[in-house]
Amino acid sequence: MTKIMYEDLAWPVRDEVIAAQQYAWDRLGRPGTWLSGVERIAVAAEARNAAGCQLCRDSKEALSPYAVEGSHDHLGALAELEVEQIHRIVNDPGRLSRAWYKGLGDAGMVEERYVESVGVIVTVVALDTFTRGLGMAPWPLPQVEAGAPSELRPAAARRQMAWVSTLSPGEVLGTAESDIYDGAATAAHIKQALSLVPEEQRSFFGLVDHQYMLGVQMFDFEKEIRAITHAQIELVAGRVSALNQCVY
Amino acid sequence: MLALRASAQYDGREIDLSVVTAADDGIGDGGGGGGIANGEELIRFANAVLGHDEAELAAARTAIAGTLGGAALADTAGVVSLFNAIVRVADSTGIPVEEQRAADSADFRAAIGVDDFAAAGEKGSG
Repeated sequence: MTKIMYEDLAWPVRDEVIAAQQYAWDRLGRPGTWLSGVERIAVAAEARNAAGCQLCRDSKEALSPYAVEGSHDHLGALAELEVEQIHRIVNDPGRLSRAWYKGLGDAGMVEERYVESVGVIVTVVALDTFTRGLGMAPWPLPQVEAGAPSELRPAAARRQMAWVSTLSPGEVLGTAESDIYDGAATAAHIKQALSLVPEEQRSFFGLVDHQYMLGVQMFDFEKEIRAITHAQIELVAGRVSALNQCVY
Repeated sequence: MLALRASAQYDGREIDLSVVTAADDGIGDGGGGGGIANGEELIRFANAVLGHDEAELAAARTAIAGTLGGAALADTAGVVSLFNAIVRVADSTGIPVEEQRAADSADFRAAIGVDDFAAAGEKGSG
């Protein structure tokens, strides 16, 4: 087990942030819903490795991500299709398109595995960015835990607003998945994005709730809940989104 | 950015949203901060974390800790890292911007260049 701790830093990290990060990090090595622990760690390791890919660097500089031919520099543990998914999400997320996603599907990508891999990738991105911001080395990836994925697809999942299938908040009321929307009948689209694999949604939104804030706190300007103000939080959030060319 | 604008309106402050999309000139300039307290230091830090200049990142980190304090630095790192991840959730799953949100933000999205991002047309912003 990798123990997430920031005790040696001069800057205090809130306990709830540490707990959410520990939960998300520990899950990386465990059997998931569609990926084994071995596969999840392979995805996590490739997400880290992607930063050094020459093809990705050249593609990012090109007017079109398809203008440069070649192969990704990868660790060799995953299929090319999975490597393409991971590298593009890590290195050029702002230019992902429905056509790209459909191309992966046509080539054999399995939607549930794709969404779970997104959950793994963004967990690594989140924690690696955090440690970099605070001047620390990245945390070691956790050990693999044995076991088989559960392969439980929520019955109400269907293709609706996104490229991937999602769970509509109104349709999960009273089901085992209703907690992912806090029992509400509506939810922001971003909260629905990973809902095809509810465990990924729960884990990632644990980070959201504690590193950003709860949805109900976003417009409650009377009460500041962090060491920086709402306006300062939103300025930083907007800047990071813009640097990534994200329109959401 | 709707929440950024709303927070400024709540305080009765004038802010310049264009600092969010302004080009990073690479000299550690936060672009004036847009009228947000310590905005320059915060933008500088966000730029540095996502950049590749280790000396600049160290300087940006020191600037936040020196002006806002250590807890603020940790919380700012939390926001930077969370949004560096959440943009990838949005962009890789193809979720569209909510219609109401797109309508409410249409004026400044066009003005500050968000509608010029590659994915704008496909994801409901442009």
